[in-house]
Amino acid sequence: MRRLALPVALVGGIVLLALAAPLLPLADPVTQDVARRLAGPMPGNPLGRDEFGRDVLSRLVWGARSSLAVAFASGAIACACGTILGLLGGWFRGLGELLAVRSMDVVLCFPPVLLALLAVTLLGPGAATLILVLSVLYLPGFVRVTYAEVLSARNHDYVEAVRALGASTPRILGRTVLPNIAGPVLVQLSLAVASAVVLESGLSFLGLGVVPPAPSWGLMIRGARATMAQAPLMLLWPCIALTFTILAMNLLCDRLRDAVDPRGAPARRRLRLVDRVLPGLLPAPSPPHGEALLALHDLTIEIATPRGAIRPVEEVSLSVPPGETLAIVGESGSGKSLTATAIMGLLPDAARVVAGAAWFEGRDLLRLDEKARRSLRGGAIAMIFQDPMSSLNPVHRVGDQVAEAIRAHQRVSPREAAARAVALLRRVGIADPARRARSYPHQLSGGMRQRVMIAMAIANRPRLLIADEPTTALDVTVQAQILELLADLRRETGMGLVFITHNLGVVAEIADSVAVMYAGQVVEQGRVAEVFGTPRHPYTRALLAAVPEGEAPPSGIPGVVPQPHAYPRGCRFAPRCPHAAAVCETPPPLEQLGDRQLRCLRHAELGAAAGIAA
Amino acid sequence: MSALLEAEGLSKIFGARGLFGRGRPVQAVRDVSITIGRAEAVGVVGESGSGKSTLGRLLLGLTPASAGAIRFDGQSFATMRRAEWRRLRRRMQIVFQDPFGSLDPRRRVGSQIADGIAIHRLSPPSERTQRVAALLRQVGLDPAHAERFPHEFSGGQRQRIGIARALATGPDFLVADEPVSALDVSIQAQVLTLLAELRASLGLAMVFISHDLPVVRHLCDRVVVMYLGRVMEEGAAEAVFRRAAHPYTRALLSATPRLDGARRTRRILLPGDPPSPADPPSGCVFRTRCAHAAPRCAEGVPALREFDGRRVACVRAEEIGVPAPAPPDA
Amino acid sequence: MAWAARRIAVSLALVWIVASIVFLVIHIVPGDPAELLLSSGGFAPDPAAVAELRERLGLDRPLLAQYAAYLGALLRGDLGTSLVDDFPVAQEILLRLPRTLELIGAGALIAVAAGIPAGTWAALRRGGAFDQIASATAALLLAVPVFVVGTLLVLVFAQLLRWMPAGGYVALADDPWRHLILLSLPALAIGKGLVAVVFRMTRTAVLDALSRDYVRTARAKGLSPARVLLRHVVRNALIPVLTVLALHMGSLLGGTVLVEYVFNWPGLSTPLLRAVEARDYPMVVGIVVTISALFVLLNLAMDLIYAALDPRIRAA
Repeated sequence: MRRLALPVALVGGIVLLALAAPLLPLADPVTQDVARRLAGPMPGNPLGRDEFGRDVLSRLVWGARSSLAVAFASGAIACACGTILGLLGGWFRGLGELLAVRSMDVVLCFPPVLLALLAVTLLGPGAATLILVLSVLYLPGFVRVTYAEVLSARNHDYVEAVRALGASTPRILGRTVLPNIAGPVLVQLSLAVASAVVLESGLSFLGLGVVPPAPSWGLMIRGARATMAQAPLMLLWPCIALTFTILAMNLLCDRLRDAVDPRGAPARRRLRLVDRVLPGLLPAPSPPHGEALLALHDLTIEIATPRGAIRPVEEVSLSVPPGETLAIVGESGSGKSLTATAIMGLLPDAARVVAGAAWFEGRDLLRLDEKARRSLRGGAIAMIFQDPMSSLNPVHRVGDQVAEAIRAHQRVSPREAAARAVALLRRVGIADPARRARSYPHQLSGGMRQRVMIAMAIANRPRLLIADEPTTALDVTVQAQILELLADLRRETGMGLVFITHNLGVVAEIADSVAVMYAGQVVEQGRVAEVFGTPRHPYTRALLAAVPEGEAPPSGIPGVVPQPHAYPRGCRFAPRCPHAAAVCETPPPLEQLGDRQLRCLRHAELGAAAGIAA
Repeated sequence: MSALLEAEGLSKIFGARGLFGRGRPVQAVRDVSITIGRAEAVGVVGESGSGKSTLGRLLLGLTPASAGAIRFDGQSFATMRRAEWRRLRRRMQIVFQDPFGSLDPRRRVGSQIADGIAIHRLSPPSERTQRVAALLRQVGLDPAHAERFPHEFSGGQRQRIGIARALATGPDFLVADEPVSALDVSIQAQVLTLLAELRASLGLAMVFISHDLPVVRHLCDRVVVMYLGRVMEEGAAEAVFRRAAHPYTRALLSATPRLDGARRTRRILLPGDPPSPADPPSGCVFRTRCAHAAPRCAEGVPALREFDGRRVACVRAEEIGVPAPAPPDA
Repeated sequence: MAWAARRIAVSLALVWIVASIVFLVIHIVPGDPAELLLSSGGFAPDPAAVAELRERLGLDRPLLAQYAAYLGALLRGDLGTSLVDDFPVAQEILLRLPRTLELIGAGALIAVAAGIPAGTWAALRRGGAFDQIASATAALLLAVPVFVVGTLLVLVFAQLLRWMPAGGYVALADDPWRHLILLSLPALAIGKGLVAVVFRMTRTAVLDALSRDYVRTARAKGLSPARVLLRHVVRNALIPVLTVLALHMGSLLGGTVLVEYVFNWPGLSTPLLRAVEARDYPMVVGIVVTISALFVLLNLAMDLIYAALDPRIRAA
């Protein structure tokens, strides 16, 4: 809202000036005084006189009147008619819609200046002709915007809800649809007015717009052009006035557009030189013992936001034994996806790792330079994502996208890569792979797209595959196919799998070990059978109880997950935990209890009570 | 006691005609008959393309059916006049899947909840605030929040607001279209509990649409399983879950991941992808992926017939046999 | 393929509709065209002269017959003769159209060659010095009307600096170098608005593409940054840029009228403006229909390129 203040003030100022012209102490803009033509600035004529001896300043101000009057009048007419037309067409569909939209298509076939010239030929120049023609020219813009918005609003659930309640059409249009289209229509109005000023001045410049001696900026430029050699400065005044006005209007248009459709600029933190040049400056922890394929150690990620730095992932430690599957389970806001992205080195600009290490085959992934990480990405470590439709590039064939993955890491000819891509598609269970390889993503079903993603991921025989909710967007039976495929691939290649999900059933079926995350931290970790059999963290227990399986009805957890800006001081689950006590206000560390890791200060007392999940 | 809602032979075809003849017609729902008793909860289950959402809207009359008849409390949809139709709207309501799209972002929630009351003039404006407050309390929210905008609430809270809005007119019948699919597991359970409580206290009849079988099991008395617009199996919830007779229902149950992981080695996998609703197979629509398909499955659509206390649309139900009861849940 | 055939058919239909609308507009205007034409001097015209003109223009026949004759003539390529100097309209148009097209082509080339790289760079270094300067420049270029730019260019380069002539034309065949020099200023003027639009759209589109999941996938595959940028970011960003180019075709064509006037470029604008002032109907109609038809065909070309870039369109 604040950002609108400047342009509104500028445009408003110009409009006010134009409106106030008769009241200001200006010379008569029309009276000629040929004796003093092209005079320079002098008292009474601060900007000098034009080629007919008329006062330039006065003509500037009065010229604003003509231009703005034409612009606003045509904009208003086009807005009123176009909005109604678009509303009716979009809501009622049918023949009216056809007429409204198609007729606008026809108007759009004429370049604006040409239609204006045609009108001037027939009706003669003058403000009235201009207003008529401009209104017709800007009509399609309003019709289209309104039509599109109404169409999209129709499909919104909240419009359906009001319809289901039995509201009458005028009520729906007036109370629900109209307020939601007011914004775009306003933007369109500002665009139309700005464009009208340009068009009118252009036509006046050609001598076919406003009729002299009435002043108009276009006319002034036309006149000044003729005497450019003698008085170049005179050319500048109307040019500046015109440009400035249009600039102010364009600024208003832009700000209005932003206000109506706010897309919050993503928090963009400038990459510090330190981070870019010397990633290894942070103190490096010593390599872990043990044979884990992947070992995360105290990973902490920080994101800069307008409200301050937040840590959506804090002190996360995980390990994946070779050839096994680790499931990371958590609800929204748990930080599980960010953790996976950090391992791959694909964090968004605004986020960075501030502590911790990620050990893979003896190297700390977080301290490698970009080139080394790139050679691992898609090679030894691969990742598949949740939404296969948006994760595949819609304009390239799927075969090409798989081949691209191959050629990024192996030196093969394009033909060889294409052949291997087809073989990979066959391996992941796509029927008729040679033909499918030539398809585009939108021609494949969700399950097939995910298979393509898997093909890309296994193209270079990864030793570790990270799967970020790969089946969440798929149907249950397709999910089963994909899980089976993953299990098959694992058996064949022995690769490790990190599987991120919020579905506990899937975890139980495919994972060897599981890490439960809540609000950016790992709260419990261990072998699946044990963690699910005897959950020791209250959150794990509550989560298991919320799964709608078994005889008892599912029970929810009261409250909501805390936001990263407002994490509780001590245990982050305490506000929702049925067993919270005073001690829970100290931050609990992650403790190792045999095979299990647990973040709960009261686990000993709670464990003494019944531990089998309902 | 007569049924509250009876639907027979419902069909819905989308895109049947276009001025430029573009687009092939999609048969979203084909020949579906369903009966909902008073205060009964029926779950409609299926994957994408099964037509379950379309069925929900057909039952509410939000989408006109291409064929078939619907009667609500004895009154047929087709012969209703406008005034009766408006009165009917009060008695049947809908809760949507998307907690973000189902509320108008520019209006306060209290005003949106009061919409139904305002439209049908159920109470004078002076009492509306109280009504809204009572509704908010009923769904477990603080009445003081009526003045807030939707974006100030979490997904689960928005869903509750949607439920409150649906309850505002005092309906007898509620269609819940995947109301918990977009929510976290722990919040899902909250909303499910709320729906169960409301159903019990208000005696609501409900159609609960979901792709998630276990979710439906606890809430519903009966279950309808749909595939490609047709009903595959229908019956009491426990019967369908424990002794699924139709091959598709079995595949669906088998594919659903379970905590006890007992299915790890016994999963039934459906080959290939579901056929497109624009181009369904002849005869039994499931036969192209069914492990038990026989030549006669292509001859004519199997009728929904009585079998072992349920209704099943499979000509080979007896031969396939009823599986042994599932092991008791952990 | 079927999609392309449909689009072509629609375009042809639109051209026909455009021609018909021009016809209609001329004939529904109140007042007798012949009388209006002859009374431009301010005097009441001689009735005999009016009658003769009407017969000559065919205005005394029934409307439908006139329409049929009009369409027939158009299909034959006969656009009538100018009322002012009796020159065949079609010939005049054929002579001058290529020069207008050359201007448009040069302007579009400048816009694309400068706008796309600049927009990409501004997006990659978002918020940086280049981005801020370029965005401000684009805003300024958009605000300055094309005839102002043209006039100022003449003022600065022709009058003050005397680097270039103020206007004029030399055929490419006669003197290529001078031809190009004379083309440069008008092309810059024409391209100024388009380059700003292309810059902005490219910047927005690249920023959008950078945040897409498929770019994340491309990075996850371990592709080099250059490859990610070209094949996945810019390639996808071209689609909305093309859309916005197509949208601005109209103002581009209108801009040629103004620029040709300012620089004395002998394209279609000179006869057009003269014809408008003299109410020379055949000439005005001929040029308007030609340019509008050109416009429709340009849009068709854009659509076809769009389909080549975005396979999802072909499926619709």
